[in-house]
Amino acid sequence: MSEKKNHLMEFTKGFLKENPTFVVVLGLCPTLGVSTQVANGIGMGLSALFVLFFSNILISAMRKVIPDSIHIPAYIVIISALVTLIQMFMQAYLPSLYSALGVYLPLIVVNCIILGRAEAFASKNGILDSALDALGMGLGLTMNLTIISLIREVFGAGTITLFATKNWDGVIHIPVLNQYPVRVMTLAAGALLLMGYLFPLFHKIIAKKESK
Amino acid sequence: MSKNLRYAVILFSICAVCALILALANSVTAPVIAVHAEETRQAALSEIAVGNKVGQEEALDGKDGIVSRMKLESGGKLVGYLLTLKGNGYGGEFTMMASFSLDGKILAAKMLSDGETPGLGKKSEESWYMTKFIGTGTKDKPVPTSKGMLAKADSDAVSGASVTFGGVSKVLAAGSAYVLSAGGAK
Repeated sequence: MSEKKNHLMEFTKGFLKENPTFVVVLGLCPTLGVSTQVANGIGMGLSALFVLFFSNILISAMRKVIPDSIHIPAYIVIISALVTLIQMFMQAYLPSLYSALGVYLPLIVVNCIILGRAEAFASKNGILDSALDALGMGLGLTMNLTIISLIREVFGAGTITLFATKNWDGVIHIPVLNQYPVRVMTLAAGALLLMGYLFPLFHKIIAKKESK
Repeated sequence: MSKNLRYAVILFSICAVCALILALANSVTAPVIAVHAEETRQAALSEIAVGNKVGQEEALDGKDGIVSRMKLESGGKLVGYLLTLKGNGYGGEFTMMASFSLDGKILAAKMLSDGETPGLGKKSEESWYMTKFIGTGTKDKPVPTSKGMLAKADSDAVSGASVTFGGVSKVLAAGSAYVLSAGGAK
């Protein structure tokens, strides 16, 4: 029973208690960079989730083979191979998302969340726990990116950009805001301003939850 | 086996396995990517040619970012050039295509590939972005190379992405000058 509870903890901690953006404060550069459109936020979050999931599993499985003194170069090679794989397949089968993510996709290699989880968790824990940790952290990051990009796009552009289908361009237009957007929200300054509000909000939610 | 040699063998093995997997993935995805690139190019060509017949592509020396030219013909007469242009934006090199009439006027332009920032410089891929350049490039109406030369709405639209705007306008101005100088060439 308690083991099951521990496994569940490894999964859920990424959402609130050890939220990668608002608590551990890792990977802020791509978070602020791509969160101008909802579709980009979700795409980036899921790409990072994919890389994190497989890198955590591989690194956990190889933790006894990789000597301590060469662990960083070994992790970087594994992570960059995974990122290159996702880049190739995305360019071939999801070209619009590939072009939308631009320079941020190759930058997943140096995303602190991925190397951070490899270093702090996967290299010390079993495969199951590492996979659950990656899923929780990856979904937590996707949730953060979705929230931030939703607020930024709604106020900054008056739209919500989702994924286009054959009969729909994927863009929801919001009246009034569409005409008079708060442009600063799509710029870097707006992103930092929003983070300034979201940080205390998140910590308040966590404190409230812990006091229960 | 010495410690360092063991480390080297482990790192080499990891790299070799990764390289093998990537090579396999590349052999699957490369043909699909090539098909996409060709489709994008053909679609861009027909859009930018604005109804004219496009001639054979001739490679140029890449000076001022002008990589190649294609003659635009209407009724067997040379009416302009379609140029492939490479410039530098905020996220590195970008490739675009633009058509010019013989007097250097921009007829149409399109961004083909770039690494610009989503929501900012990436807007250059959208069709409305290029409208501020269309019809410019003549003596009376030069290509707007600074935000001050744009109408207020257009200037607002490129704010936050000045580097992209600068890169795009620079290659378009160079293309216009090139076509004007090559105007009479058959």
